[in-house]
Amino acid sequence: MIEAAGLSKHFRAADGTVVKAVDGVSFVVAPGEMVGLLGANGVGKTTTMRLLATLLKPTAGTARIAGCDVLADPLGVRRRLGYLSATTGVPDRLTPQEVLESFGRLHGLEPAALTDRVPALLDALGLTSCAARPCGRLSTGQRQRVSLGRALIHDPPALVLDEPTSGLDIVGARDLLDLLERLRGEGRSILISTHRLHEIERRCDRFLIIHAGRIVAAGSRAEMAAAPGGLEGAFFAAVEPGAEL
Amino acid sequence: MNAGHGILAVASFQLRRLLTPQRVILAALGAAFPAAVMLAVRRIAGHLDRDFAVVLLYALLPEALCLLGLLVTMCPVVADELERNTWQHVAVRPWGRWSLLLGTFLAAVSWTATVALFALGLTLVAAGLPGSGRLAAVFAALILVSCIGRAALFALPAVIMPKRAIVASVAVALVVEYLAGFLPAVVNQLTVSLRLRSLLVRWMGWERALPTELALLVDTQPAWVQIMAVVALATVMLVAAGVILARRQFPPAEGS
Repeated sequence: MIEAAGLSKHFRAADGTVVKAVDGVSFVVAPGEMVGLLGANGVGKTTTMRLLATLLKPTAGTARIAGCDVLADPLGVRRRLGYLSATTGVPDRLTPQEVLESFGRLHGLEPAALTDRVPALLDALGLTSCAARPCGRLSTGQRQRVSLGRALIHDPPALVLDEPTSGLDIVGARDLLDLLERLRGEGRSILISTHRLHEIERRCDRFLIIHAGRIVAAGSRAEMAAAPGGLEGAFFAAVEPGAEL
Repeated sequence: MNAGHGILAVASFQLRRLLTPQRVILAALGAAFPAAVMLAVRRIAGHLDRDFAVVLLYALLPEALCLLGLLVTMCPVVADELERNTWQHVAVRPWGRWSLLLGTFLAAVSWTATVALFALGLTLVAAGLPGSGRLAAVFAALILVSCIGRAALFALPAVIMPKRAIVASVAVALVVEYLAGFLPAVVNQLTVSLRLRSLLVRWMGWERALPTELALLVDTQPAWVQIMAVVALATVMLVAAGVILARRQFPPAEGS
């Protein structure tokens, strides 16, 4: 379960003004549910996700991941959360197997646990055939899978994925989203952010539309599909009230 | 789950990063430089005075080479992760930030000390001094103490101002180690350079021969006190750096 309650993050800009990057955001992602966080660039998607991942501390409000509060128990959150950022940042010189082993050890997993976990994960991610190839020689899609593997190495019940299809071609994006659907089927709570609506309009169970740091619309897939213009229409109606698609 | 695994994972990863052909060539050049200086001095002077050679060794190895080695290995501890977009993947692990700091500290000390020990061997051969075995033991210990103390010292600017860590560390080295360290006052008790000089003087048996003005620049406590002082300083600085790093927040534009 991923829960946000009145989550806010304010930054002080260089000129001294306060920028409300996230402003009182509340939502719940249930186990076995995939929720899309939609918004244009710079509206607070990444900041929201970083608040959930304990990379940033909220100015107000709080969030809980699998029952652990981001302020009271950040270590508990980190043990239960898989986080994928918009930028892959996979070490070029390490192989996928080495990346997963390194991050497993960084997560504090025992070597014996990694002996079983890493091959199984490589197989699930379709990376077995290139497990011994340096990441610098992998395709963007394969690198993104390695990055996802890094988020899954500790078998977390909740996933926060910031633009996971960024930089992927249509096939790579489809394969990755197929994989996410399988992970949802295992009962994980998944929050996925993107501004590429067409990719996830038939994949997510619900959608949250964020604009200027606030959730301006929310609804199930059926509700969004029923809106004039479908999900895209609902999106533009929410972020540009009065505008016609 | 064990935080020790995380520290070792980071240390092993950082050492692999350092083992590129370019870095190894640079390290080899760094290790050869003190020997080249020693050879040049020996050739120019004709005869090499033992005490002068020891002072030169001290200036070249535990001071210059160790400082330079640690500047390039310890200072980028956070900046590298931010630049390579791996910071957030490390920071979301339960003890990721502490593992990053301590694992990098371990790798920086191991790498720099190894290079400096190679340099020590080469320089002692180049100097051709009698009693080189004892000098090797003394300088190996000084190199290790220097690496531990200075790596911890550089950890602070590295976490406080990651993007200008090298400049800040050079400033810290100049102001703290070489300005405050040479003031005969209480403030130099908090520097690694005082402890290193004091160890050198004690282990070389120079206490009685030192002129009064130079005696003010060393501490007369036993060697174990000097070593424990460096360990205590290093512990305090690493804990301070760890606490700062654990609380640091990088806005999306910086940390992505």
